[in-house]
Amino acid sequence: MSKQQTEKRRLFSFDKSFSTNVIFSQPDKYKLLEKVSYNSNNLINIGSNLSYSPLGFSKESLSINIRSFDRILHFDKKEKTITVEAGLTLIEFLNFTLKHNLWIPQLPGYPTITIGGAVAANVHGKSCGKHGTIRKSIKSILLFHKTHGWLNLSKEENEEIFDLTIGGIGLTGTIVSVTFELMEIKSSKFTTEKKEVNSIEESKKFILDESKDASYTYTWNRADNLINFGKGFVYKNYLDKNPSDFHGFKEVKRKFRPFIFPMWNKFSINVVNFLYSKLNKLSKSEKNENFLNVIFPFYGNENYFNFFGKKGFIESQLLISEEKFESFIEEFKSLFKQFEPTITLFSLKNMNGKQKFLRFEDNKICITFDYVNNKENLLFMSKIDSLYDKYDIIPSVIKDSRLSKETIKKSYNEELISFKEKLCKFDGKRIYQSEISNRLEI
Amino acid sequence: MKYLIVGASSGLGKELAKKFAEENNDLVIVSRDERDLNAIKSDLETKHKVKIDVLPLDFSSINEINDKLLSKNNLLSNLAGVMFPIGMMFDDDNSNLNTESISRLINANYVSIAYTIQKIKKILIKKENTSIIGFGSVSGFLGRDINVTYAGAKRGLESFFESMAFDDDLKKANIQFYTLGYLATNLSFGKELILPKASVKKLSNIVFKNRKVKFKKTYYPMYWMVVNLILKIIPFSILRKLKFK
Ligand SMILES: Cc1cc2nc3c(=O)[nH]c(=O)nc-3n(C[C@H](O)[C@H](O)[C@H](O)COP(=O)(O)OP(=O)(O)OC[C@H]3O[C@@H](n4cnc5c(N)ncnc54)[C@H](O)[C@@H]3O)c2cc1C
Repeated sequence: MSKQQTEKRRLFSFDKSFSTNVIFSQPDKYKLLEKVSYNSNNLINIGSNLSYSPLGFSKESLSINIRSFDRILHFDKKEKTITVEAGLTLIEFLNFTLKHNLWIPQLPGYPTITIGGAVAANVHGKSCGKHGTIRKSIKSILLFHKTHGWLNLSKEENEEIFDLTIGGIGLTGTIVSVTFELMEIKSSKFTTEKKEVNSIEESKKFILDESKDASYTYTWNRADNLINFGKGFVYKNYLDKNPSDFHGFKEVKRKFRPFIFPMWNKFSINVVNFLYSKLNKLSKSEKNENFLNVIFPFYGNENYFNFFGKKGFIESQLLISEEKFESFIEEFKSLFKQFEPTITLFSLKNMNGKQKFLRFEDNKICITFDYVNNKENLLFMSKIDSLYDKYDIIPSVIKDSRLSKETIKKSYNEELISFKEKLCKFDGKRIYQSEISNRLEI
Repeated sequence: MKYLIVGASSGLGKELAKKFAEENNDLVIVSRDERDLNAIKSDLETKHKVKIDVLPLDFSSINEINDKLLSKNNLLSNLAGVMFPIGMMFDDDNSNLNTESISRLINANYVSIAYTIQKIKKILIKKENTSIIGFGSVSGFLGRDINVTYAGAKRGLESFFESMAFDDDLKKANIQFYTLGYLATNLSFGKELILPKASVKKLSNIVFKNRKVKFKKTYYPMYWMVVNLILKIIPFSILRKLKFK
């Protein structure tokens, strides 16, 4: 292959737990995409590389980034459909659709995530209790595969590959464009209501009860020590009923650049949580918030991640049924007492959908924990991993970079086998491979 | 207003198409692959109130230019300007390049541009203030061991644009020529270069702003003017010993 079309790069997973040197390519024409794909034996797709796990690269694969494919190919306002290229970022997407009072509500928490990355990870947003994952908004996909060539995927055409590609972590080929069914959105302003809670049980009740009438319901809970465990706040975001004009978002380049020394430790977390709680108590229980703050809460707050330092963090995102939630939390707390892990974030939301393949989706409660990346925490997390089977928990492959093949096998069970089998049937050579797919032996 | 952009499917050409469409100009865009052109057309027509015509053709072939571009009188009538952000490069473009490839490179980077300008001159001078905008390369500063023919063609193109300033027929036209340094495009992707790569977005804003300037010969980024001056002062016997990428 022409050396001019590839570049050596060192890539890191977003949580900084893994890095390696890779060969990177950024085709900007259809022909070049075909050429770079034909010229390498192993490939993997990469978007903005904002996945917490190393999903978009591997030492042995050429990473294909189609960020230059960022065009709107078709828009039908009446039918409320749009076809966009997969390199388009969410903020670019919204800058167009919101002008027409349309959008998709399944938006993950950072604006520079690409459409391709979002589809391949089957992402969800804060309103996943009501709107589920992005799968629900996808009408069709145009895929390029090194040996199969160009494929139209939808429920009507190549249904099995369509199904494998959504949440297929880039293993079925390059998603080149996606057609979405859009939803109406009258205003791009939100009102946020909050309420203090004293326990995790209270939080759970809130997200289950309230997500029926409010689309955006989630919690912030403390996990800095056992006494405060579960105390926190529950939030509801409502879209304003009064229509508002949309003037476009200015994209400000912000950097994720970890500090040399980590700033998160038991003490700092305790202080920050204390201050955050106090601030929340003192501020009004209802306030107006702009769209970006609600939908992309980490945009402008990148230092939360930078504070973890060069060693980074580990996020664990789990799906658990309503019925098993309390007993799991009890066991979690008892292990917490024993291991005293350092947790920076603990949050709950409701999720709706149907679990299939490797997709992080089900009619369950979604729990998120962020841990400082250290030996003690890793040991604690391994103890929690061993509970997945008992409580039918599904961990997120996109978020938790440390998950072992065994853990995934146990929790995804038949669905993992089925994903693997169907993928191998489609692509016997298993051309598209990432660090994670290698580790999980997919 | 309507502009013709040759080489519009990627890099600077794509960015120029974006900028000129944003400013509500219709476009005729030319490049080899129809798929890229159609994607740009849909994008720009969806976002702006403009009409984009696409002409897929190989610009290194005079026959294709005749058949697919120059025969389209209705498309070319009323042009407010033409831009040639085109650059064809081959990996094996050294002093041993075969004649067929040499001819393609010279055509795409020089002859076809000169030919197209000659042929549509009549249309361009019908109106006042039409723009003819060309793009050279710093690789044309000096003989070299790679991109040999490309550099030669770009040097020739610069001379052609200078000569247009002496062309009485083109008195009313705005002629601009940009000698380009390293740009952040796919042509420079993966190359280790001695100076940083410049933004094509910034350049397209500059090109748009300058489009009505009578005659302009400039560098982008500007520091390449200093590099050129230095190269002119140093005796060639010394330069020969230095190796430039
Ligand atoms: C601050 C932050 C907040 C987040 N919040 C959420 C959230 O609320 N909900 C949620 O679900 N996720 C969330 N995420 C995770 C994020 O949505 C996913 O990891 C997403 O996949 C990242 O997209 P990307 O463009 O960076 O793709 P990458 O990380 O580069 O790639 C992700 C996967 O997509 C594949 N891929 C990328 N492009 C293509 C393509 N064109 N064709 C085929 N496959 C492709 C890759 O192979 C890889 O498997 C968050 C991430 C960050 C950093």
